[in-house]
Amino acid sequence: MAGLSYASAVRIAAREMRSSRGKFFFVVLSVAIGVAALTGVRGFSASFRGTLLMRARSILAGDLSARMFQQPTPEQEKALAEIEASGVKMTSVTELLSMASAPKTMDPLLVSLKAVDPADYPFYGMVDLAPAGTLRDVLGPETVVVADDLLVRLKLKVGDSLKIGSKEFRIASVVTNEPDRLSGNFAAGPRVLISRAGLEASGLLAPGSHAGQRYLFQVPKPTGGAPISDSAVADLKDRLVKMLPEAQVTDYRETNPALTQGLDRATSLLSLMSLVALVLGAVGVAMAMRAHLQQRLDTIAIMKSLGARSGQIMKIYLMQTLLLGLLGGVLGVALGVGVQLAFPILLAKLIDVDTELHVQWRTVITGLGAGVLTTLLFTLPPLLDIRGVRPILILRRAVEDNDDPFVTAIFKKLRKNVAQIGAALLILAGLAAIATTLSDSATVGKVFSLGLVAVLLVLLGASAVVLGGLKFFLNRTRLSLPSSLRHGLANLYRPGNPSAALLAALGMGVMQIMTVYLVQQSVVSDLHISSAPNLPNVFLVDITNDEIEGIKVLLKGQGSVTAAPELLPVVSSRIMALDGVPASELKLKNFPKRMLQSISLTWFDGPPLGTTVIKGKWWTAEQAANAGKAPLVVVNDRTAERLGAKVGSTIEFSAQDTKFVATVVGISKVDGQHAFSRAEFILPRASLAGLPVVWYGGVHADPNRVGELQRALYQAFPTVTVINVAQALETVRAVVIQITYVIQFLAAFSIFAGIVILASSVAGTRYRRIREVVVLKTLGATRARIATVFSIEFAVLGLVAGVVGIGFANVIAKVLLTRLTAVYHFQWGWNAVALLGTAGLTVATGWLASHRILGQKPLEVLREE
Amino acid sequence: MTERVLSLSDPMIVVDGLRRSIRNGTRTVDILKGIDFSVPRGQFAAIMGSSGSGKSTLLGLLAGLDTPTAGNVHLNGTAISYLPEDKLAQVRGKTIGFVFQSYQLIPTLTALENVLLPHELNSDAKDGKAGLARARELMESVGLGDRMDHYPVQLSGGEQQRVALARAFILRPPIVLADEPTGNLDTTNGAHVLELLLNLNKKEGTTLVLVTHDPVLASYADRRIVLRDGVVLSDEMNRDAEAAGHAAVIAGGGSR
Repeated sequence: MAGLSYASAVRIAAREMRSSRGKFFFVVLSVAIGVAALTGVRGFSASFRGTLLMRARSILAGDLSARMFQQPTPEQEKALAEIEASGVKMTSVTELLSMASAPKTMDPLLVSLKAVDPADYPFYGMVDLAPAGTLRDVLGPETVVVADDLLVRLKLKVGDSLKIGSKEFRIASVVTNEPDRLSGNFAAGPRVLISRAGLEASGLLAPGSHAGQRYLFQVPKPTGGAPISDSAVADLKDRLVKMLPEAQVTDYRETNPALTQGLDRATSLLSLMSLVALVLGAVGVAMAMRAHLQQRLDTIAIMKSLGARSGQIMKIYLMQTLLLGLLGGVLGVALGVGVQLAFPILLAKLIDVDTELHVQWRTVITGLGAGVLTTLLFTLPPLLDIRGVRPILILRRAVEDNDDPFVTAIFKKLRKNVAQIGAALLILAGLAAIATTLSDSATVGKVFSLGLVAVLLVLLGASAVVLGGLKFFLNRTRLSLPSSLRHGLANLYRPGNPSAALLAALGMGVMQIMTVYLVQQSVVSDLHISSAPNLPNVFLVDITNDEIEGIKVLLKGQGSVTAAPELLPVVSSRIMALDGVPASELKLKNFPKRMLQSISLTWFDGPPLGTTVIKGKWWTAEQAANAGKAPLVVVNDRTAERLGAKVGSTIEFSAQDTKFVATVVGISKVDGQHAFSRAEFILPRASLAGLPVVWYGGVHADPNRVGELQRALYQAFPTVTVINVAQALETVRAVVIQITYVIQFLAAFSIFAGIVILASSVAGTRYRRIREVVVLKTLGATRARIATVFSIEFAVLGLVAGVVGIGFANVIAKVLLTRLTAVYHFQWGWNAVALLGTAGLTVATGWLASHRILGQKPLEVLREE
Repeated sequence: MTERVLSLSDPMIVVDGLRRSIRNGTRTVDILKGIDFSVPRGQFAAIMGSSGSGKSTLLGLLAGLDTPTAGNVHLNGTAISYLPEDKLAQVRGKTIGFVFQSYQLIPTLTALENVLLPHELNSDAKDGKAGLARARELMESVGLGDRMDHYPVQLSGGEQQRVALARAFILRPPIVLADEPTGNLDTTNGAHVLELLLNLNKKEGTTLVLVTHDPVLASYADRRIVLRDGVVLSDEMNRDAEAAGHAAVIAGGGSR
């Protein structure tokens, strides 16, 4: 027998949908909201992330940079040439200190020279010039571009000559901001940009000169407008790290700790939110389809008695599912695209991000595919139930009791449910696959899937326990309870009640919404710290011990300085040995040996701002008092790793002519946001007593008034070098603030979508209640009474789901936040609010959904049946 | 009981030692305690019995909707009782037309679509046009030519049952099983439905088995099989059937 053609199945399925549009509204709505949230969140976050990464790239001026500490060997040069031949663009940036002078006055000034190839540099970002122009146009072999303070100090103007080395250059323009200011050397002296040809001509590049060399790389753009993939950058990075073992290779995500952290967390959170959107949509679909098929039991039995095989009926409903999934998917994608387009408009006031507004086809297809796939996956179990519908149902309502002995019954049940168990596994595998594909963060994908499985198992267990307990309890106390309470509770375990399914749906939903909330909150409060408006953005170098008090006074009197200055004493030193191994024999990681010759030691009484001890302990007062004899040191974690130092290691330092051995008592981690973060070795004051000190300082100045501060400092302390990174830091800060806005906005959106979906799941169970309401009414129950019964039922469901869901949300949030090195706090208040909110919303939606039914005349309903 | 031997020459339905017990808690209830009979091609047999006599269970077994505890049912030469569910579905589709007491129309399909459904489920596709033509023709013949696109809720009980009749005959099944087809209808409507059923039966040459507790309804049958407590109490040809004739039904005098 040829069976049912797909065309016929589709036809029958479509007919069925046509006659009961209202019922399918919930299914389509669930899929649509899920897909919309997915497409919207994903699409927007993809373009937002793209914009962010472009900014991050501009801070490095390339995709990658390799900071060289020595000239490349011939082999390395050959390998670099090979890389260039493969399409990667490369340019070198040389930074060195030099003297410059005005030819007329011959006043010399130490300047920080930066030689670039204006044809290539910068790969990303812009060099801001005053008057506005492009570097390519103004910088040639005969010209230089200088910072404003050089003009002030040498009393020059644009168009004048400046002598550098043996050659005179014309000052072509003033540089106000370089994209990679944060990535270069924080050298003393005003900036002078020079072309590579100009540098050659100046004769400054004598062998042995202390020039800092950086190579910038740009990975070729894929054709078709797609963004440069992270993996292409990572591949090149691996290659460079292997090729240039002595160089420091940095990619665009590592330029600034605040930015790196912001990007990492944004990626994780955005992944989490798209997954949540997807699963919530799927939950909605599963609930709606379940309710739908439950109502179709009679129809299925009739079809079977008319000669339909289970396979055929499944085919019909499968087609229906597909149609619904597709319909919801299309609607969802349309909505999602709308949302994606609406986000930048809504956010326009908060962020000036010009996310590229083209809708990516990939996102659309992913959304559609995910919608249809999750719909299919989640409708599998109810679809498989079709096989169990016995046609005899139409003749005889009574269901036979199971007459098998206990063990056989279990086996029978298992065997009967093999397909269901298979389906459950398939769903999990499918979800995991979708999650992995969608998630940009492997950690999030993994933690999320595991959490989902765990919460499902616990919820099913909890529902069995709660329902069993209720039954037991009610059997004992039957008559002593008020009857509406009894009825409401009994409703929960009555055969055919979707309590378990609803509990699973609600619990999962609450877990996800709460996870998003908790993770979002912690990440945002962290980001607020790193984008705090009073972090140092102007650095002072080479302050002598005699000047330090005067500097403090001057800074206090400056209106442009908005936060207490961070001042740190520096003692120059060398490392002679580590754990008894002489410096010359040490094996170092990505750290040139000659750096051991210039080590900065710092003293502090306690951990400075932004520094935390992650291994070992900060010294005690007693140890500090004794530190003159037994020196102690806390080492920065990166430095410790490069050196191979651990807690308990001993380091032999040599400062001036003093040699001493300090014991490592702790490894510290810095947030990179403070002047103090530059301290690599912190010792008690007593250990460094008597050694010559220079001070290093960081202050926060109003970015618009830095010039004012610079002039004041120059007048009072002409030898102190002032480094202004205010503009660059403002860029970083703006990006981080944008990240926090977007995260909060998207989290609110996901949470809202989640609540809508869950509400529609609860509402979807209302059709089941029609008959029940009719019977109760026929027996004389008032509407108020029926509403009470339902409220009790829904409140119990909401509370149980809330407890399990919120509990798991806290666990998952904790795991995720720990992985993200963010802090997790258990918040009683919010958790309690969430729990009550869950119960309240469940009751409210249950109420609203049943409202129409309650108002109906029994006969209308009976006729509709 | 001599007719039975004669009728075995060309039996459409053979019921052989049929038993059905159900377990209810700890008790086993024997609903059918060994039933044997056969129905020759083209015969109109009524199965009678009071409520609880086992007639609905017997009908379920005849239609292959249920599996017996022992014994077997042969339809058109095929033993069906222990066939797997999907094979049974096939047998049901090809061999049996069903008329139920409570109509059992699919509420989400229109009248015409309800009639067409068995055709779509069972025919070898392609001949969709022919199926549609036949469905329309049957709808006309049950007098519902103008109600084809109505949904079941928009039809009266009698109309719904006429749709069910049309549906039962669409695939020209050799057997039609009817379970109290007039049980939910008033006298006039019941008579009309019965008339249509008998007419269709005659026209299509179907073997008809009708389950009822109504002696008037049974009086139109060629044969009456009476059940009590799960056994056949009596099984006899209805000598008056022809005499009483369908004329009486058509005149509206019969039924209930």
